[in-house]
Amino acid sequence: MYANPNSIINPSLWPNGPAPGCFFNFPGANVTSTSSSSGIITRTQSPVTTGTSILGLVFDGGVMLAGDMLGSYGSMAKFRSIERTIKVNNSTVLGATGDIADFQHLKAIIEQKVIDEDCADDGFTLKPKALHTWLTRVLYNRRSKFDPLWNTFLVAGIEDGEPYLGCVDKIGTAFSDSKIATGYGAHIALPLMREGLEKKPQMTQEEARALLINCLRVLFYRDCRALNKHQIATITKEGVTIENNIELDTNWEVANFVIGYE
Amino acid sequence: MFLTRSEYDRGVNTFSPEGRLFQVEYAIEAIKLGSTAIGIQTSEGVVLAVEKRITSPLMEPTTIEKIVEIDKHIGCAVSGLMADSRTMVDRARVEAQNHWFTYDEKMSVESVAQAVSNLAIQFGDSDDDGNAMSRPFGVAILFAGIDEKGPQLFHMDPSGTYVQYDAKAIGSGSEGAQQSLQEAYNKSLTLKSAMKTALTILKQVMEEKLSSTNVEVAAVTPDQPFHMYSKEQVEEVIKEIA
Amino acid sequence: MFGQAILNDNLPGAKQHHWSPYTDNGGTIVAVAGDDFAIIASDTRLIQGYSILSREQTKLFKLSEQTVLGVSGCWCDVLTFTRTLEARMKMYLHEHLKPMSTPAVAQLVSTMLYHKRFFPYYVSNIVAGLDQDGKGTLYSYDPVGHCEKNRYRAGGAAGAMLQPLLDNQVGLKNMKGGVLPDITKEKALMVIKDSFISAAERDTSTGDGVIINIITKSGVEVMHFPLRKD
Repeated sequence: MYANPNSIINPSLWPNGPAPGCFFNFPGANVTSTSSSSGIITRTQSPVTTGTSILGLVFDGGVMLAGDMLGSYGSMAKFRSIERTIKVNNSTVLGATGDIADFQHLKAIIEQKVIDEDCADDGFTLKPKALHTWLTRVLYNRRSKFDPLWNTFLVAGIEDGEPYLGCVDKIGTAFSDSKIATGYGAHIALPLMREGLEKKPQMTQEEARALLINCLRVLFYRDCRALNKHQIATITKEGVTIENNIELDTNWEVANFVIGYE
Repeated sequence: MFLTRSEYDRGVNTFSPEGRLFQVEYAIEAIKLGSTAIGIQTSEGVVLAVEKRITSPLMEPTTIEKIVEIDKHIGCAVSGLMADSRTMVDRARVEAQNHWFTYDEKMSVESVAQAVSNLAIQFGDSDDDGNAMSRPFGVAILFAGIDEKGPQLFHMDPSGTYVQYDAKAIGSGSEGAQQSLQEAYNKSLTLKSAMKTALTILKQVMEEKLSSTNVEVAAVTPDQPFHMYSKEQVEEVIKEIA
Repeated sequence: MFGQAILNDNLPGAKQHHWSPYTDNGGTIVAVAGDDFAIIASDTRLIQGYSILSREQTKLFKLSEQTVLGVSGCWCDVLTFTRTLEARMKMYLHEHLKPMSTPAVAQLVSTMLYHKRFFPYYVSNIVAGLDQDGKGTLYSYDPVGHCEKNRYRAGGAAGAMLQPLLDNQVGLKNMKGGVLPDITKEKALMVIKDSFISAAERDTSTGDGVIINIITKSGVEVMHFPLRKD
């Protein structure tokens, strides 16, 4: 383990290139579960295919989730039809930001839970608060193993006639609020949503939808990892509806006036 | 009851058709072979008195320990298989210290009884919680102590059942002693008179002549936590009841 | 050694996602104990980085009629710690047939924190309540379980900023005069409110609102007042 004096004195033959006989290795591309030279096992993960913001908004008698359908591969808009908002059951939906693979892994587990509950046929179904708490435990336990699921989730639904909206991130930070936005949306859309709710605390479904659509449009304008193809989920006591492939009309005329950034 | 012995005698966790666990009942019978122990609860504190069977003049009487300390505020008297009692006393001590460590407070007498009861029923088949014991303990215990509810006396038998008593006798002379306790007990008993009562009853039920070498006496009071009585102190009380 | 030189992350354009199991979610707790009462208060802002996650998140957890716990720090640890503690409270109630006293909670909190000494809960705890004699008591902790009994304490993000204020206003430190009288409920409430108003001025992670719990022998009274939201 002694450093070769030559490697210190002489600059390396090919900086940032692979060691002789090895394949090219990009910096930062950590492989999971590799042993470092110190013998410590590292599980440092990084997200691969990712989804951007999800927005959640409570209105009078229900709650809505909204987000786009893009699966980004780094900066490449690779998958253009990813369902990041899923119906869990008639009272609950789940939306995900972050690693799509981790989300789909958890989605499979949740779907199996729902099937198990249907089989029990005892009248009990997964309620939003229960799913939120369960997700919090799952994510916290994974972060405690230093092997996190790289997501931020929004859980939305109706419980005991009241709308519920909750958020939990990859280390298990969980909270509930009437307006939540993840990722880039926390910076760009959330202030718009807070402003909307401050003006009218009890929105109708139509008003909430209009506000969310406006937020999605702004996000599409400003978020480089956004796509103009959206999902909007609405949960009321009547049940869950998810609209897919919503395209918004946009106006880029103003772009001509933006100068000096070329 | 021994006439209808059957295969239900064998398994410690097999109920007979009448709904009985014979091995547990036999264990309770085993207590009746043990030396007599008496506990009396008064408003001033709790007294424990036990007989020590000196089976040989060559025996060293002080090595028979039937009253032991669990924690400063709790003591206990045992009757039955002494070796078994060591395991249970150990558990009681560990639980009491663990409670103090975790909560910075004295463990209540009832909670100690509950904790030991959990150990007492770990006989039968092994499961995830660890290896089970092959048979029930052959011990009855009197827990005497003072907690926030005041002076407390608890009795536990080999089935793990524990019940609070004003006064309780266990061991070979327990039937007669319990009868006498029932007649002698009243709520306004002082600690001193409770001690006299205990020794008087022991004297009646013991086969040997009662002396300061073949009895042990202890008490727990608010001012004095668990303390054993010295030979001289016991002699004084014996003189008074003579 | 040669391989290490190749994996140089400090090159321009090189980016490494990294993550920490801990995060700072801000928040401030202030508590004052009197002769026959204890008051504990928290702000209601939950932050991450420069973002406000929520404006209405209490950091007070009522553990019994006698005891309230205030926690701030890494919110995921707060959630996990308080849930475990609440479960322990219920188990104690069933096992020992009585609610856990405030001093017992205080010791349990210390024990639970120290049991995670080498992967700590990143939290600042204050336990407030009445002891068995009905006297106001208060305990404060560091993340690994060091416990101290206090008459007044500020904890969390603005804790270091507010403690000297309490030293002066509640502890009457560095003042001339005789024996300290026990603080009155009215004075304590006033100092607590002023503390939060001041903290909200100088600490970006404290704001939006305050929830106050007043613990007396008749139970826990809850009060609420707003703070600046910027």
